[in-house]
Amino acid sequence: MTMEQDIEAMDQFPLGMRVLAVDDDQTCLRILETLLHRCQYHVTTTDKAQTALELLRENKNKFDLVISDVDMPDMDGFKLVELVGLEMDLPVIMLSAHSDPKNVMKGVKHGACDYLVKPVRIEELKNIWQHVVRKSKFKKMIKSIVTTNCVSEGNSDQNGVRANRKRKDQLEEEDEEQEEQERGNEKKPRVIWTRELHNKFLAAVDHVGVKNAVPKKILELMNVDNLTRENVGSHLQKFRLALKKINNEANQQANLDSQFTQMSSLKGLGSFHHYRPIPLGSSQFHGGAATMRHYPSNRTLAGMFSSSLPRNHNDGGYMLQGMPLPPLETLHIANNNNNNKAFPSFTSQQSSPLVSPNNHFVPEGHQGFSPHLEINKRLEDWSNAVLSNNIPQSNLHSKPDALEWNLFGNSTSPNLDTTNQTSFCRDTDFGSPNAAQADSFDPLQMKQQHENILSPMTVAQLLRSSSGNEGLFMGQQKLENGFMASDTGSLDDIVNSMMTQEQSQAEFSEGDWVWVA
Amino acid sequence: MDALVAQLQMQYRNYTASLYQQGFLDDQFTELKKLQDDASPDFVAEVLSLFFEDCVKLIGNMARALDQTGTVDFSQVGASVHQLKGSSSSVGAKRVKGLCVTFKEYCEANNYEGCVRCLQQIDIEYKALKTKLQDMFNLEKQIVQAGGKVPQVDN
Repeated sequence: MTMEQDIEAMDQFPLGMRVLAVDDDQTCLRILETLLHRCQYHVTTTDKAQTALELLRENKNKFDLVISDVDMPDMDGFKLVELVGLEMDLPVIMLSAHSDPKNVMKGVKHGACDYLVKPVRIEELKNIWQHVVRKSKFKKMIKSIVTTNCVSEGNSDQNGVRANRKRKDQLEEEDEEQEEQERGNEKKPRVIWTRELHNKFLAAVDHVGVKNAVPKKILELMNVDNLTRENVGSHLQKFRLALKKINNEANQQANLDSQFTQMSSLKGLGSFHHYRPIPLGSSQFHGGAATMRHYPSNRTLAGMFSSSLPRNHNDGGYMLQGMPLPPLETLHIANNNNNNKAFPSFTSQQSSPLVSPNNHFVPEGHQGFSPHLEINKRLEDWSNAVLSNNIPQSNLHSKPDALEWNLFGNSTSPNLDTTNQTSFCRDTDFGSPNAAQADSFDPLQMKQQHENILSPMTVAQLLRSSSGNEGLFMGQQKLENGFMASDTGSLDDIVNSMMTQEQSQAEFSEGDWVWVA
Repeated sequence: MDALVAQLQMQYRNYTASLYQQGFLDDQFTELKKLQDDASPDFVAEVLSLFFEDCVKLIGNMARALDQTGTVDFSQVGASVHQLKGSSSSVGAKRVKGLCVTFKEYCEANNYEGCVRCLQQIDIEYKALKTKLQDMFNLEKQIVQAGGKVPQVDN
């Protein structure tokens, strides 16, 4: 049926509902056909199950409902029910001369929507359309969930989105008519801020400068179809809020500075357990790290800050707004995670995170650590959440627009995402070490964070060094085998390695994680 | 003419009522009649013809299955009986349907003699019904030809 026909059909539903009737008994089939006509349905009949399947496979949209006899010579009716349900996802009503409850149960188990006993009365047939509505409502529900979570107006080159879109399309196909009617009532699909999209956003912001960033300009610079000024505006708002938060948090980390210095002596430790990638000992660091993390962004995030912050701390400076960043060496990037296996446990030494020569965040292993940890953790959570891919579900922050942010992430484990979300959501706690305490520390999460940590890099650096979908993390292999592996000393590398690590998250096992106490 | 029509109609009514009373027909038949309208004036007749065709076919199957020298495949017989039961119940052939139920039990019990008996009875029964219905349809035709309407008989 054409779209117009479909719409017409739907307008009159249940009249004109398209039914496929299958029964090898010609008497029954004839009667059924007449009964269905009497109900003003559109009827197609066949006496062979095989033919019925062929008809259905030929065009899934041709029928709304299937009624089939159970006892047929060429195929078991139950089997047909199952196949139709699986392949075409159409409601199937069973018909039988058996009124045995066992058979009824069997029918239901095979997926039949209803089971009618012969002789069928017209009253029974008058109500079968409810099965169609029920099924399509269910589909619509799924579809709207899929739509809300996965609609990608910008870039949809990620598998998750593709898959969702495909599913969405399928659902759409079948619910087209109803959707038409209800389209007016539905919300517009949300824009999913994929990493790429966010990168563009960050690049645009970087270009105009954070202070000058206005949605209109950004939109122009981004040059993305189907993106409205409103979309950009709200995204920008979030970005700014996150920045602010990070700054606030960073300010509270001042007391960690001393610890941080200690850390630096740990350089070369290499046993960083991806613990909190956030550089400890420096409030800014935290802030920065947090910033990094939080901003889903791919390198552009850094850029974002860079406009208002000192850029380029190759020495590991974070780009925090106005925050002096400690020399990178002192920071251990928690990226170690992917190499977690390679890292000896922290605990031994000062239990502090490894200090890597470059931009490694040093997870603090001291007492003072926990606050850092907390914050780091939060930051990580946040960035993870943000950076995680557009996994529609778990990535959601409790915040309403969290979904968008989540799309940025690398594929952190779902675990992480969920945990992250929870912890992240406690934004209020963000800046307070204590608050973090409340969080359950999730080693896995840490690992994740590790990977997601964005080393302090300017946006420009990130932009230079990052590749496509990696967002923050480049696919560098360097750090894969060891936290200390990075010998480039450039933020780029670190970021890259972090990204890589992200990818190899899967390798992480909780057992590798050691808390540096 | 009117008197003729009236007379025929009365005859028709009585005859049809008796079919119900004697258990040849049940409510399902009434339902079928309701489905008949100007769009499909011969609907009932068509369906019943189909039914009788099925009877012939299925009874033939049963006879063949029971006629095997050696082991009788009762499940095969049972399958045919089951189908006949379905169609007879759909058209409202009450007696035939009743016999099918009994027949099925014999099949399940692998009771050869019982099955054979049932088969014979079904054969007689469907033929009797066929004759009766033909008479009824004839009366209907006559009424229509006499210019009258076929009365609704819902016993």
